[in-house]
Amino acid sequence: MMLPKKGDPIIVQNITGKYGRFHTRLMLDYGTNIAAGATPGKGGQIVEGVPVFNKVEEAVERTGAKASILFVPAEFSYAACEEAILAGVRLLVVITEHIPVRDTMRLVQLAGRHDASIIGPNCPGLIVPSAKVKMGIMPATSFAAGNVALFSRSGTLMYEIAGQLTKAGFGQSVALGIGGDPITGTSASECLDFVEGLEETRAIVVVGEIGGDAEERLAAHISKSESKKPVVAYVAGRHAPKEKKLGHAGAIIYGDYGTAATKIAALTKAGVSVAETPMDVPSLIDKALS
Amino acid sequence: MRLFEYQAKELFQAYAIPVPKSALALDVSAVTEAFNTMGHPVVLKAQVLSGGRGKAGGVVVVGDEAGARREASRIFGLAIGGEKPASILVEESYPHQSELYLSVSLDRGERAFVAIAAAAGGVDVESLSDKVIRRVPLEGIDESFAGEVTTQLGLSGPTAGQFTKILLRLEQLSREKECELAEINPLAVGQDDTLVALDAKVIVDDNALFRHPEFSKLHPEDEFEGEASREGFAFVRLEGDIAVVGNGAGLVLSTLDLVGDAGGKAACFLDLGGGAQQDRIEMALRLVNRLPRVRRILVNIYGGITRTTDVAEGIRTVLSEGPVKPLYARVSGADEDAARRLLEGTQIKLFKTAPEAVAAVVTTS
Repeated sequence: MMLPKKGDPIIVQNITGKYGRFHTRLMLDYGTNIAAGATPGKGGQIVEGVPVFNKVEEAVERTGAKASILFVPAEFSYAACEEAILAGVRLLVVITEHIPVRDTMRLVQLAGRHDASIIGPNCPGLIVPSAKVKMGIMPATSFAAGNVALFSRSGTLMYEIAGQLTKAGFGQSVALGIGGDPITGTSASECLDFVEGLEETRAIVVVGEIGGDAEERLAAHISKSESKKPVVAYVAGRHAPKEKKLGHAGAIIYGDYGTAATKIAALTKAGVSVAETPMDVPSLIDKALS
Repeated sequence: MRLFEYQAKELFQAYAIPVPKSALALDVSAVTEAFNTMGHPVVLKAQVLSGGRGKAGGVVVVGDEAGARREASRIFGLAIGGEKPASILVEESYPHQSELYLSVSLDRGERAFVAIAAAAGGVDVESLSDKVIRRVPLEGIDESFAGEVTTQLGLSGPTAGQFTKILLRLEQLSREKECELAEINPLAVGQDDTLVALDAKVIVDDNALFRHPEFSKLHPEDEFEGEASREGFAFVRLEGDIAVVGNGAGLVLSTLDLVGDAGGKAACFLDLGGGAQQDRIEMALRLVNRLPRVRRILVNIYGGITRTTDVAEGIRTVLSEGPVKPLYARVSGADEDAARRLLEGTQIKLFKTAPEAVAAVVTTS
C-alpha cells in the first residue's frame, strides 16, 4: 500500500452523485488534489471545478492519478473497481456499503493480481493530516497532524477517538477506516505492517468490534512481530446480543465466535493495552508514549 | 439473513440434497395431523432463528399422538432466546449408525469460502478437532475437488459417492444463492448407508438479496424492524427499556456497552447512518418513542458531517409534536454550543460526555 503524498492527483468515481459531489467539496476544502471525476455518460461536466470523464482510463491519462475514491452504488461497485484497476489505479478507497461479499472477494483477488490496494469497502476512507490528503468522508475537524496511526472498523468511532486524541494533543500520522464488512481489502494486520516502516508513526490505535476474528488474527500477528511501536486497542460490543447484525454486515456474533471478550483477551495476551471505553484511549496512548 | 430450518430444507430439496420426510405445522392440531401421516417415532422441531434450540427443549422425539399433542403445545409455549416458535417442523425420525459434518462457509481471514467436512456431526464445528478444510474457488468446485475431500475424510464404499455428490450440490447451492453459510450438521449415515441431512442451516448474504428476489418474502417482519429498514436505519430490537440512538454503527455499539456497564438494559440499537440530517433524527425519535417497553431514550451523536445543529432542530421538532418519553442526549462535535443553545428550555437532558448521559439515563427511574 502506498498512501498519496501531498498534492498527488486523486479521482472521484461517481463524482456526479449527491454524496460524491458533497464530499468532493469537503476533500477539496481540506486541500486534497481532487484532479478528476469519472461517471459513465457524464463526461464533459464540471463538478466543484473538477472535470468529469466518462471513463476512469481518460481521467488517468489526463491527470496521471494512481488513486481513486469510489461513491458508486453497491450493485455497480465491482465493475467500477475493475475499471479503475484495469486503468492503472493502484489505490482504491471504497466507501460504498452493502456490497455482496462474493463481489468483494472477486475484487480482492483482482486487486492482488494487479498489485493494487483496496481500502474498505464500507469504510470512511483515509486521512493523512500532515499531507492534507483526505480520501474519505470523515469530518476534518476531528483530525490533526501527529504521531499516532489510527485504524478502525467503524467510521464514527474513528472520528470520536480521533477527536479525543486530537483534544489531548495526540495528532495522527494517518487514520484509516478498515471497513465494517466481513471481508475487507486491507486488514488491521496489514495496516500495522504498513506503518512499521513509517518513522512519523510512534504509536498505533486499533478500533475493533464484534464479529469475525480480525482482532484475534491481529493479536497473533503482533505476538509474532518484533515491532517496538506500542499498540492501544478498543473493541466495541462487550454487551452486544448474539446472532444479531448490529449495523455493520460484519458485526455479528455466532455462538461464541466473534465475541468482544475473546478479542479483548487475545489482544491483551499479545501485549496490547485495551481501553475499556473510547474515552480511555488518549490516556493509554499517553502512558504508552511516556 | 438466516433461513428457518424448514426453508433451508426446501432449498436442499431443490438441490437434490436428501432430507427426511417432514411437514410444517402452524398449530397443535396440524402437528398431530402430520404425526398421523408419518412413520413413527417423529421429531418435533421448534422453528426459531436463535441458537441453543436443543438445550432450550425445542427438539423432542415423540412416539404417540398424545405425546405429540402434549409436546407440541409445550414447544409453542417456549421462548427460545426470546423468540416464540411460530411453527414446528414435524419430521420422521431417521435411524442412523453415525453422523458427519459438512459445510460451505465464509472464512473471513482467508477472504474466501471454505468447505469443511468432519467424520463427526451433531456438535458445534468449532469443537471438532479432526476436520478437512479446503478453500473453495469463487467459480465453484468440480467432482475431483469434492472427491478429494471425501477421500481425505476417509470415506469409502457406498457412502463415499453420496458424500461427493452432496458436497457438490451444497457448494452449488451456496454459490448460486450467495450464502454466507450452508451447513449440514448432522449429515446422518443410515442403517443402509444412505446419507440424509438431518439439520440444515443456511445464512444468505443480506447484501446480495437484490440479486435474489426469491428470498424477499420469506420472513415475517417485526413491525418496527420493517419500518426502520424502509427508513434505511440499522435497527435491532432488544429486551431492555432504554432506546439507544446514535449516528454510526460503532458508536451505537459502544453506547450499548456503556449502558450495559452502568447496569442498564437497551431496548434497541438504532444507527441513524452517516451524514444524518434533521428528518432522519425526527423519524428515528418518533419510531423509538412508539416502541413498547421503552421508558427512556438515549441519543448519542458525534457531529462531523452530521451537523449537531440539524440534530438539535430535529429533536425540537419531535418535542413540539406531543409527549416524548424522557430524553437524554450527548451531542458533541462541530457546532455543539449552537446545538446546546437550540435545546435550552426543552425537556431534554443534555450531557457533555457519553458516560455522563448514560449514568443519568440508567440511574433515573
